[in-house]
Amino acid sequence: MSSESSKKRKPKVIRSDGAPAEGKRNRSDTEQEGKYYSEEAEVDLRDPGRDYELYKYTCQELQRLMAEIQDLKSRGGKDAAIEIEDRRIQSCVHFMTLKKLNRLAHIRLKKGRDQTHEAKQKVDAYHLQLQNLLYEVMHLQKEITKCLEFKSKHEEIDLVSLEEFYKEAPPDISKAEVTMGDPHQQTLARLDWELEQRKRLAEKYRECLSNKEKILKEIEVKKEYLSSLQPRLNSIMQASLPVQEYLFMPFDQAHKQYETARHLPPPLYVLFVQATAYGQACAHMKSSQTPRQDKTLSVAIEGSVDEAKALFKPPEDSQDDESDSDAEEEQTTKRRRPTLGVQLDDKRKEMLKRHPLSVMLDLKCKDDSVLHLTFYYLMNLNIMTVKAKVTTATELITPISAGDLLSPDSVLSCLYPGDHGKKTPNPANQYQFDKVGILTLRDYVLDLGHPYLWVQKLGGLHFPKEQPQHTVVADHSLSASHMETTMKLLKTRVQSRLALHKQFASLEHGIVPVTSDCQYLFPAKVVSRLVKWVAIAHEDYMELHFTKDIVEAGLAGDTNLYYMALVERGTAKLQAAVVLNPGYSSIPPIFQLCLNWKGEKTNSNDDNIRAMESEVNVCYKELCGPRPSHQLLTNQLQRLCVLLDVYLETESHDDSVEGPKEFPQEKMCLRLFRGPSRMKPFKYNHPQGFFSHR
Amino acid sequence: MERAVPPAVPLGQMEVFQALQRLHMTIFSQSVSPCGKFLAAGNNYGQIAIFSLSAALSSEAKEESKKPIVTFQAHDGPVYSMVSTDRHLLSAGDGEVKAWLWAEILKKGCKELWRRQPPYRTSLEVPEINALLLVPKENSLILAGGDCQLHTMDLETGTFTRALRGHTDYIHCLALRERSPEVLSGGEDGAVRLWDLRTAREVQTIEVYKHEECSRPHNGRWIGCLATDSDWMVCGGGPALTLWHLRSSTPTTVFPMRAPQKHVTFYQDLILSAGQGRCVNQWQLSGELKAQVPGSSPGLLSLSLNQQPAAPECKVLTAAGNSCRVDVFTNLGYRAFSLSF
Repeated sequence: MSSESSKKRKPKVIRSDGAPAEGKRNRSDTEQEGKYYSEEAEVDLRDPGRDYELYKYTCQELQRLMAEIQDLKSRGGKDAAIEIEDRRIQSCVHFMTLKKLNRLAHIRLKKGRDQTHEAKQKVDAYHLQLQNLLYEVMHLQKEITKCLEFKSKHEEIDLVSLEEFYKEAPPDISKAEVTMGDPHQQTLARLDWELEQRKRLAEKYRECLSNKEKILKEIEVKKEYLSSLQPRLNSIMQASLPVQEYLFMPFDQAHKQYETARHLPPPLYVLFVQATAYGQACAHMKSSQTPRQDKTLSVAIEGSVDEAKALFKPPEDSQDDESDSDAEEEQTTKRRRPTLGVQLDDKRKEMLKRHPLSVMLDLKCKDDSVLHLTFYYLMNLNIMTVKAKVTTATELITPISAGDLLSPDSVLSCLYPGDHGKKTPNPANQYQFDKVGILTLRDYVLDLGHPYLWVQKLGGLHFPKEQPQHTVVADHSLSASHMETTMKLLKTRVQSRLALHKQFASLEHGIVPVTSDCQYLFPAKVVSRLVKWVAIAHEDYMELHFTKDIVEAGLAGDTNLYYMALVERGTAKLQAAVVLNPGYSSIPPIFQLCLNWKGEKTNSNDDNIRAMESEVNVCYKELCGPRPSHQLLTNQLQRLCVLLDVYLETESHDDSVEGPKEFPQEKMCLRLFRGPSRMKPFKYNHPQGFFSHR
Repeated sequence: MERAVPPAVPLGQMEVFQALQRLHMTIFSQSVSPCGKFLAAGNNYGQIAIFSLSAALSSEAKEESKKPIVTFQAHDGPVYSMVSTDRHLLSAGDGEVKAWLWAEILKKGCKELWRRQPPYRTSLEVPEINALLLVPKENSLILAGGDCQLHTMDLETGTFTRALRGHTDYIHCLALRERSPEVLSGGEDGAVRLWDLRTAREVQTIEVYKHEECSRPHNGRWIGCLATDSDWMVCGGGPALTLWHLRSSTPTTVFPMRAPQKHVTFYQDLILSAGQGRCVNQWQLSGELKAQVPGSSPGLLSLSLNQQPAAPECKVLTAAGNSCRVDVFTNLGYRAFSLSF
C-alpha cells in the first residue's frame, strides 16, 4: 500500500516542479494533451482485467529481479556488477509498465465518477418534477372538496315535497319535461314555486289584518251599547225591590251577600263558598229528618266593601298616592327624619295588613253553645288566620283552673296533631319576615288570629313543605275535602272543652262528678277524696321531680295544659301531675303520681305506684264511658281514688309497729300480691264487686 | 296529614298510646337461646321480643340492631318466667306454660308448639307461674307460682308427675342444687324450702324473717330471689340479702343493701344482685360491696348471664326491669348499651 501511495504522489511532485518553467510548459502541455487523449482513448480499448493480470505479472517479475539482485550482491564477485546492472534495466522497464498502469487506473476512476454524477443529476431533475406534479394533484383535490362542500342558501328553505310540487305548481313553473331529468333545473323550479307561494301568503296576511281591524271596531260599537244598557237594568231592579219585600223572597239579600263576596280575596271566597255549600247541605239533611229549621252553620261576610273595592283599582290611585306620599315623605324628611324603628314598624304593619273583609262562621252545637269563628286574610303574607270565641246558652261559672280551656287563644289549638297555629304555614313568609325584622309570627298571633293549617286548607291554600312557592292558588277541591272533617272536629272540640269546663267546676270543689252511666266502673264506697285541683304552668310541670319520664318521652309539649291534683286519705297524700292534651278526649290525660306516706313513693321506687299510673294511663279505654267519652278525666280521677284505697288497704302490716293498721282492709280481694313485682289487686270486677289482679 | 314527628311535637292518638305503653312496660323475664346469639325478653303485656345479641354486639351495629328482630304476643297476661332447653323456649306467666321452637322463632314463624296447665285446685283466679326451672338430669321442668305448690312436668311426655306442697303463700323463685337432686324454693310466706326430688318431700325449711340479722319487718317477709352454689345459698327480698350455709342453716353474711332485691346469682367468686334501684350490685362473699354498676331502668327484675359456650363473643350480662330497655353489660364494669322494645 505505502509503495502504491508513493507512486501516486510522484507525478504530482513532478508537475509542481515543472510549474515555474512556463515556456516549457506550454509545449509540454500540448504534448501532454495529445498524450492524455491517446491514453484516454486507450483506456476504452484496454480490458481492465487484462491490465490487472499484467500488473500482477510485472510485480512478480520485479520481485524476482530484486531477489536475484540481492542474491548476487550477497555472493559478491566481479561479474556480479554487470549482472546487477542488467537486472536493474529490466526492472526499470517493469517500473515504467507499472506507472502506465497506474495512470490508466486513475483515468478509469475519474471517468466512473463523471458518469455517476451525470446519472445523479438526471434523477434529481425527475424527482423535482414528480414533486411538482404531486402538489398540483393535491391542490386540485382540495378545490374539488371545497366545491363539493359548498352550501347553497336554498338548502335551508323548507320546500314542498316533489310530488306536491308537480301536482300543484303551474306547468310554466314546473316545466316537467325539462326538470324531470335535471335535478338542478328541478330545484330552481321548486324555488320559484316557493317564492310564488310566499308572495301569495303575504297577501293573505295583509287581508286578515284589515279584517281584524274591522271586527274590533264592531266590538267597540257593541260594547258601547251594552254599557248603556246597565243603568236601565239597574232602574228596573230598583223598581222591583218593594215587590220582593212584599213577597218575602230574600233574593236580593242573598244576592247582596254574593255581591260582597265578589270582593273577597280568593282564599276567603273559597271558604265562603264551601262553607255556605256545606251549611246548606247540612240544613237539607236536617230538614229531611226533623222539621227543625235552625241552621247549624251560618256564614256571613263582615267588613267594609268600599275599602275592599278601593284595594282592587290600584293602578292610577295608588300611583298618585305613592307620588303624594313620596312628596310628603320628602317634606317630612326635611322637617324631621323619622327614626329607623318607626319606619320598620310601619313596614311591619303594612306586611301584616289584613284584608278589610272577613268571613264569620257560626257553628252551633247540640246544646246551643255556639262557636264563632272569624276568618281573616293577610294579603301580603298570603295566609289565613282565625279568631275563635265560644258562647254558651247558659251562663257558665268559670272555674279558676279552667282559665285556658275556652280562651280564644287556645280553644282550637292542635285540632290536628301538631297544629298549634303559632308559626306561619307559608314558608315564603320567613323571608319576608327577615326583611322587616319579625322573628316569628307568634308575637302577633293574639292580634291577628291563629294561622292554623286547617284554616289554610279550608281556604284552599296548600303550602308545600320543602320550597316556598310564590304562586299559591286558592283551590276549591282542597277546601271541600277538608270542610266536613274539620267542622266535625271543631264541634267535638267545643263539646269536649265545655264538658271539661263543667268537670273542672266540680273538681275545684273537691267533687269528682261521676255520672250515673259510669258508676259501674267503681265500687260504691270510695274513701279517698280529691282535695285539690289546680292548673300549673308548663315550666312548673317540667321541674317536678316525678314527671321526668313523661318529659323524656316527649309527651310534655308546651301546647298541652297542665294540672295538679291532690288525693288524700288519712295521712296519705297522693299528688298527681296531669298532662291534658288539647286533643282530649281522643288523646287521654296522662297522670304521674307521687305518694307521700311513710316516705315519698314514685314510680321509680315503688312498682305499685308505677302500676297505678299504668292503670289510668294505659288502660284508659276502660274508663272512657259512653261515647264521646268526655267524662274520661273524671273517671280517671275517680279511678285514682279507688287505686289509692286499694294501695293503702293492702299495704302489708309492719309487725314491729304497735297498734292497729291505719287503713283496715275493706275491699274484697282474692289475693294481696301477685307476681315477681308483688302487684296489688287493682282491677275492679263490676257486678261481683271484688278486686283482682290484671 | 303526613308529617315528620320530632320528639317535642305533639303526637297523634296512636303514637301517644304507644309511647305510654312503652313507658309503662316492665320486662319480667329473659332467656338466652341455645346458640347463645339471641335473647328473648318477656314483658307485662304478654309479648316476647327476640333480640339478636350478635348483631347488637358486632362492630357495625346500628340503632336498628338494638331493636327486636321479632316481637310476638305469647300470653294474655305478663310473661313472668322463661327458660330455654336445647331446642325450645318455654314461657310462662298466666297459669300456663307454652313452648316455642327456637328455630321457628328465628324464622319469624311464631306459633306455639304446645301449652300445658298444671292441675290447679279450682279457684276464682287462675294462679300465675312465677318461676320455671329445668332439671336436666331427669329431663323435667319445675313450675311454681300462685298456687303455693311446685309442679314437676316430664318434658318427654308432657305430663305433670308431682306436686310439692308446703308453702303457705305464693312462690317467687326456684333454684336447683347441682349435685344432689334437690330444689330450693322461696316464697311470699318468707320461707326457703329445700325439696328432695327423689322422695318428693320437704327436707329443710329456713324461715328467713325469723332471723334477726336479716329480718326487715317494714319490707315484709317475702323471699324474692335465691341462688345456690354447693352448700351455700343466697336469698333476699323483704329480708336483707343474706348468704346462708345450708347444712347448718345459719346466716353467714348479711349484705348491707337497703332496697329489696329481686334477682341474685353467683358469678365466679362474686354475687350479683339487682332489685329496686338502678344498679347491678356486685358483692364479695365477705359482704363487701365490690361495685355498683348503674343501668338505665329505675328498678331491675332479672339478670341473665350468657355463658353459652357456642357463642363466646356474646358473653354478656343483661339486666331488665321496670322499663322497655334491656341493659347489656359486656364486662361487669359498665353498661355498654341497651336493647329496647
